[in-house]
Amino acid sequence: MNRTLFLYIILLAFGVGALFAQTPKDCDCFIQGIVEDDATKQPIVGAVVFIKELNKGVSTNAKGFYRISSICQGKYTVIGRIVGYKEKSYTISLEHGAEQNIKLYETELHLANIDIKAQKIDNLTQTKSILENAALDQTRGQSLGEALKQISGVTTLQTGSSIAKPVIHGMHSNRVLIMNNGVRQEGQQWGSEHAPEIDPFIAKKITVLKGAAGVRYGSDAIAGVIMLEPDTLPDSTVMKVEINSVYFTNGRQTVNSGIIEGGSNNSNIKKSTKIPYSIGYRVQGTFKRGGDISTPNNRLANTGIEEINYSLSANYKRKNWTSDIFFSHFNTKIAVFSGSHIGNISDLIEAIKRGSPLSIYTPETFTYNIGRPYQDVLHNLLKIKNTVKNRNGVLSLTLGRQYDFRKEIDILRGDRNLTQLFKLTTYSSELIFEHNPILKLLTGSIGVNSLYQENLTTGTLTEPRSLTVLIPNFKNFTSGVFLIERIVRNNWEIESGFRYDIRHLNVYRIPRSGQNVVNNTQNNQNFTGTLGANYRPNARWNFMANASSAWRAATVNELFSDGVHHGAASFEHGDENLVPEVALNLSLTANYVSKNFQAELHLYNNYINNFIFLSPTGRPALTIRGAFPEFIYTQTDSRFQGFDFNGIVQIAKNLSLNSKITYLKAQDLSNNQALIQIPANRWENTLRYDWKKTSVSITNLYVAKQNRVPTKIIFTEIPSSEIIFTEYGGDFAPPPAAYSLWSASASQQFAINTKQSLNISLTINNLLNTSYRDYLNRFRYFADEIGRNIAFRAKYSF
Amino acid sequence: MANKRNPIHIALLSLLLSATLFTVSCKDEEVVVEEENELITTVKLNFTSDGTTQSFKYSDPDGDGGKTPTIDAISLKPNTAYTLTVEVLDESKIPVGNITDEVKKESDEHLFVYTPTPSSLLTYTYGDKDAKNFGIGITGSAKTNSAGTGKLKVQLRHQPPINGKASKDGTPTPGSDDINIDFNVTVK
Repeated sequence: MNRTLFLYIILLAFGVGALFAQTPKDCDCFIQGIVEDDATKQPIVGAVVFIKELNKGVSTNAKGFYRISSICQGKYTVIGRIVGYKEKSYTISLEHGAEQNIKLYETELHLANIDIKAQKIDNLTQTKSILENAALDQTRGQSLGEALKQISGVTTLQTGSSIAKPVIHGMHSNRVLIMNNGVRQEGQQWGSEHAPEIDPFIAKKITVLKGAAGVRYGSDAIAGVIMLEPDTLPDSTVMKVEINSVYFTNGRQTVNSGIIEGGSNNSNIKKSTKIPYSIGYRVQGTFKRGGDISTPNNRLANTGIEEINYSLSANYKRKNWTSDIFFSHFNTKIAVFSGSHIGNISDLIEAIKRGSPLSIYTPETFTYNIGRPYQDVLHNLLKIKNTVKNRNGVLSLTLGRQYDFRKEIDILRGDRNLTQLFKLTTYSSELIFEHNPILKLLTGSIGVNSLYQENLTTGTLTEPRSLTVLIPNFKNFTSGVFLIERIVRNNWEIESGFRYDIRHLNVYRIPRSGQNVVNNTQNNQNFTGTLGANYRPNARWNFMANASSAWRAATVNELFSDGVHHGAASFEHGDENLVPEVALNLSLTANYVSKNFQAELHLYNNYINNFIFLSPTGRPALTIRGAFPEFIYTQTDSRFQGFDFNGIVQIAKNLSLNSKITYLKAQDLSNNQALIQIPANRWENTLRYDWKKTSVSITNLYVAKQNRVPTKIIFTEIPSSEIIFTEYGGDFAPPPAAYSLWSASASQQFAINTKQSLNISLTINNLLNTSYRDYLNRFRYFADEIGRNIAFRAKYSF
Repeated sequence: MANKRNPIHIALLSLLLSATLFTVSCKDEEVVVEEENELITTVKLNFTSDGTTQSFKYSDPDGDGGKTPTIDAISLKPNTAYTLTVEVLDESKIPVGNITDEVKKESDEHLFVYTPTPSSLLTYTYGDKDAKNFGIGITGSAKTNSAGTGKLKVQLRHQPPINGKASKDGTPTPGSDDINIDFNVTVK
């Protein structure tokens, strides 16, 4: 991760008694300092420095200087926020104690000289949204997909309530890249029922980069990138423990997660010729268990979950050298609602007609038991990273190995257990050199990424045994080189980069009607580019414009699917002749910050040529289990157009209103109709009251009906006499109605002493127990969404 | 190093070691030991009357997709009582897999459903019962009525227990189709 240009923000904190007052007032403290870029030695103009507890902030002036005055004594979190750099927070105590009686002639009373190393964010000109601190705490216990719904522009594609995958600007799966602690997450991405194999408790910060970010992260990041980052490991002699406990009433789900971290260094050893070093470590684990969940009207049989995750990390720093090791293990067992097992199209039509599940699938009695069907998913990640700094820059090498083992256990006869098994092993490497400024002007990085993976679903890699697998065996090799350079000036920045990738795919499969193994190969290569600018005319405004391209070669499921997708009640055909899709993403972001108003508007226009998607043919595919509607992976030119808005207004001293809008229009340009499976537009409003360490909020989420759905079958070569499912453009039911959900939340912080703190909160989701269905939930055909769910959360750290 | 015995160091070392061990232990095997998936390729209906058995097959040996299945046309005599038995096979395997036996073994969660269209074509009566006295449909009788043509839909409903609670209730409603095929029928 450390593609660093280190920035030092120097925060100078002064506690000051009034010069002329006999008794110093409690509220005459101030904080001042300068913010400067260590690399260029230039002051940073327009950086926002604010005190979190007081929601009070200023921007740095032309000399990088800031001053926040009239602060009462107390303990505060000072946050420095600079566009293009990682936000940094620092805790400071402003006290008038014994020293207060000392006559003050100078302004210095307490002088804290704090060097904050802020890692430079790679991308300066693209919109990113960050979930951390209290906002992240409020999502604890939820899956990654659910947690990210906080961010405007991000929605989810769901299978029931326990499987959610993030959707950015209407796109998901392989188009959304997930960086798990600096390593590209490689899991099983085929299908809507494959959620990211990640424990969100690993992260202390989740960043979403919206729009094509192909140059830096991999050419296939068409929709965006999700980055999960833990805190940096301690480098001083400390020991910290954090415990998170969450209880959800719906499904009686408990989630417990703990972190122990510590470190040590040799700075206390007297004298020396010794080279300073430090080590840090962290052990983290999560246990989750939930039973059957309930909709407002009934309990859904077999909807429990069980999850055990842990991670271990350690690092060693010596002078200019840093070594990191990280291992994480994720294991989840997710029950799949019994009523969702659909034999064929007539079963599905019956289920839709009934409206709600049969009583056998909605038992009175609650259970934690997980019966068939269920998924059992395991994901291991090992990362080793070495970084070395010299006078020319920073060189880092990251090696990763991931192993993803997925079992889908269906309802079968006898003692048979396994329907589908997928084993995916991935090796990745990344070598990056970030050079120091050239001519005090140009900074940037150059890098090489490579990835090799093998998927095994039957037999051995080159000798598959079964022809009834959904995904054939394959090996995949990709490699890319990139260069990104940026010019940073006082109030503008320009960034440009390009990348070249190759991809080599080898598929080993036994085709239907054949006995012999067929080896298909695909080779693809292409360039990707990005150009962006960031302009800050003054401290309040910030404008970003970006044009980026990305491309993605068809994945194995898109090329070679051939069979019934169970549960989805569809017969899916791949197409061997799919060509890579190419995206050109244009975006414009305006950001405004003032004392009482903060807003961000992000406009985007994403053209994707040869966009690959699964489209209904309207034709039944006849099998011995009955007829299934047929779907084919096909390509079209498309356009994703929309905006995300996020605004906060300070209505009164303690009262604020946060409004978020997600608007998207996705069009199939070749066929001149809407694209299928695009999230509906939504508008969320939160009214929040903060008083000291208490906060109370109420939220309304309005999700419109998705009126933009395809109306006609796009396969013109299919004779209309064969098309029988035409009523909803090939879908089985019209999109569900609009819905409005209320939720409420209250939280309280307790600072027990300087080391210990306790945060507790209570959140009621779906406050009014509203029955609703979402267009992007596969269960919408036969079951309502989850009903009222009260969450109790406690976070204790010491 | 000087502070080699620092407990933190030992902790760190064991952490690194355990991480290495985990990596070794999850080293993947070259061969996947896999239970073959069940594949129903063939449904055979045996109509027996007066000691003569006529068999009609629905056969799709390459599974879903691929080649079109072959479906025999059923031809029966009017106003005749037949004993009707069904066989479910997996002919993609050698030896041929017999799924009928498995259905029989788990008769408490399976139900064959025979639906003639028009309904006057023939009358089906279950000839076997599971432990709860619900029909199974592996053996039964079909009585044809007057001459005519139509279809016979054969379904195998799989009705597994939900969280340990039986779902089979004698009706086709619970569960999902494992077989759902139509035969053309001529009664003449």
